[in-house]
Amino acid sequence: MDALLTASRLIFDPYVLWVITASAAFGMFVGAMPGLTATMATALLVPVTFFMDPVPALGAIVTATAMAIFAGDIPAALLRIPGTPASAAYTDESYAMSKKGQLDLNLGVNLVFSVLGGFVGVAILIVCAPALAEVAINFSSFEYFWLALLGLTCAVFMTSDVPLKGITSLLFGLAVNCIGIDPAAGYPRFTFGSVELLQGISFIPAMIGMFALSELLRGMVHADATGAVIAQEIGNIFSGVFGVFKRYWFNFLRGSAIGVLIGALPGAGADIAAWISFAISKRFSKEPEKFGTGHIEGIVDATSANNSALGGAWIPALVFGIPGDSITAIVIGVLYMKGMNPGPTVFLQNPQFIYAVFLIFILANILMLPLGWIAIKGGKQLLRVPRNVLLPVILMFCLVGSYAMTNSIYGVIMMVVMGLIGWLMEEHGFPIAPAILGLVLGEMLEQNFMTSMIKADGAFIMFFERPIAATLGVVTLLIWGTMLWRGIRGRPATLSAAAPGP
Amino acid sequence: MRANDAIAGLVLIILSIVMIALTASFPDFPGQKYGPSLFPRILGAGLIVCGGILMWNGLTARRLGAPWIEIAPWAKEPRRLATFVLVLVLLLLYIFAAETVGFIPLALLFLVTLFVWLGVRPWIAAATAIAGTFTIYWFFATLLRVPLPRGWLNSIL
Repeated sequence: MDALLTASRLIFDPYVLWVITASAAFGMFVGAMPGLTATMATALLVPVTFFMDPVPALGAIVTATAMAIFAGDIPAALLRIPGTPASAAYTDESYAMSKKGQLDLNLGVNLVFSVLGGFVGVAILIVCAPALAEVAINFSSFEYFWLALLGLTCAVFMTSDVPLKGITSLLFGLAVNCIGIDPAAGYPRFTFGSVELLQGISFIPAMIGMFALSELLRGMVHADATGAVIAQEIGNIFSGVFGVFKRYWFNFLRGSAIGVLIGALPGAGADIAAWISFAISKRFSKEPEKFGTGHIEGIVDATSANNSALGGAWIPALVFGIPGDSITAIVIGVLYMKGMNPGPTVFLQNPQFIYAVFLIFILANILMLPLGWIAIKGGKQLLRVPRNVLLPVILMFCLVGSYAMTNSIYGVIMMVVMGLIGWLMEEHGFPIAPAILGLVLGEMLEQNFMTSMIKADGAFIMFFERPIAATLGVVTLLIWGTMLWRGIRGRPATLSAAAPGP
Repeated sequence: MRANDAIAGLVLIILSIVMIALTASFPDFPGQKYGPSLFPRILGAGLIVCGGILMWNGLTARRLGAPWIEIAPWAKEPRRLATFVLVLVLLLLYIFAAETVGFIPLALLFLVTLFVWLGVRPWIAAATAIAGTFTIYWFFATLLRVPLPRGWLNSIL
C-alpha cells in the first residue's frame, strides 16, 4: 500500500502531469498523421525522455502510444488511410461507414471502445504481472535462456509471412548485438579498435534509424500529397455509442482479450491484434455478409483489441524484460539506460515504479476521452498539415535526437547506417521487428546461454532438468519443429497468414 | 530496387564467413570450454544456413523468370529517385560537416533544400526552416543541454 501511495505522489506531480498531457497531444498528432506510427512516436520521444526521471519518461511513452493507436482511426474513417498500421485492419470498413453517413457513430465507437479496450488491457496487466513476477523470481539462467529464445521464436512466428526471412532478420539482429564487450568474458568483439563500438551498438539511435529514418525515406520519396481536404462535417460522436455497446458487448470483451493475449506475445503488437480480432469477429459473426459494407461489429472487436494490446505488451516486458511489441522493446532500452533492469526483482525493489506504470496507463485512458474528442473535432485541420513540410522537420528531429543520445556524431552515423539497413531489409521483404528484438534480447540471451552452458558443462540434459525450463524448452522446440515441418511441406507457418499482412 | 533473394543470400553468407573468421582471433580462457567466440559462431552458422536456403529459393525463382534485380516503380521516376539521393547526400553532409560548420547553418540548409525540392513555396520554406531550426536548437541545446555542434558560432560569439 505504501508503494501505491508513493507511486501516486510520483504521478500527481504538476511536472509529470504536464509531461503526460504534452505527450498525449504529441501522440494524437503522430498517430493521426498517415505514415507516422506509434512506434515512431516512441522512438522520437526517447531522446527527450532521456533527460527525465524514470516516472515522467515512462508516462510520456505510455500516454503517447495509447493516444497514437487511437488517433490512427481518425484518418482511416475520414480519408481511408490508416494513421498507424494498427488501424489498417478496419480502414475499409470505417470508410464505408463514413460513406454511408455514419461517420459520427464510427468515430464515437472508435474512441469509446479504444478507451474501454485500454482499460481491459491495463486491468489484466495489473492482475497478471505481479503474480507472474512471483513465479519468475525463482528462475535460473536455464529458464531465462528458454524464455528469451521462446520470445524470439514467437517474434519470428508472428511477424512475418515468410518465416525464413523472419529468422534471418532475427539472427542478423543478434549478430549485430555481438558487437562490443561480450557479456560473459568481457572481451571486446568486432570493435576494430573503435572506442565507441566498445559499448556496443547504441540502441536508441539504431531504433530511430530502423523505425523512423526508413519510414521517412519511403515517405519523402512519395511526398506529393500536400495535406487533404475533407468535406464531411463531424457532429455529435457520442450518440448511439451506448446502443452499440449493449448490442456488441461480447465483441468488445472478446476483442480486448485477444488484444491482450497477442500483445503479450513477443514481437506481435497492436497491428496484428487488430487483424486477428477483426478476422475472428467476421468468422463468428451472425451476419458476416454485412462485413465490408460499413458494419460496426468488426470495428468494435478490432478497435478494442489494438488498444488492449498495448497493456498486454507490458506484461512480459515488466516481468521478464522481454518486450511484447516494438514499443516495449524501446521501453526496455529506456529502462536499462535509467539503471532499472526490467525483471521480477523490480517488483520487490521498486514496487512504486510498477504501480506508477499502472496508474499512468489508467490516467492515459481517462485522458483519451476528452483529448480524443478534441482530436476528432480538429481532425480536418490536423490532416491539412502538408507532408512536404512535416517530413523534413521530423528528419531533422531524428538527427538531433540521435546526436543527443551519444553527445557525438557517432549517434548520427549509427542512426543513418541502421536506417539504411532497415530500409533495405523492408525493400527485400525482411521484417524489421525480429531484428530489433534480437538487438534488445541478444545480451540477455547470450548471457544466460553462456551461464547455462558453463553450468551444464556439456551435459545438455541440464537445460531440461527444472520443470519450468523443461516446459519452455519443449514448447520452443515444438514451435521450431512445426516451422520446419511446414517449411518442408511448403506451407507458410505464420499466424498472420490468417489475415492479409498490413 | 529489389535484388533477387539469391544475391541477398550470397551477401549474408559472405558476411557470416567474415564474422566467423574474425572470431578465430578471440582468446580462449584457460579451464573454460566456452569462450566469447561461441555465440557469434552459432549465429554465423545459422545465418549461413538461412543464406543458403535464400539462395536456393532465389535461384529457383530466377529459373522461373524472376529478374536478378527488380527496380521499384518509384525508382523509375527520375524525380523520386533524385529525392532519395538528395536525402542521403544531405545526411552525409550533416555527418561530415556538423563539427566544423555547426548545427544552425547546416540545419537551415538542410531544411530549406528539402522544402524547396519537395515543392513548398519559397517564403513558407524559409520561414518554416528558420522557425524549425531555432525551435529545435532552443529545445535541445538550451532546455535539454545537449551540446549541439557550434561550429562557426564559436568564431562569431
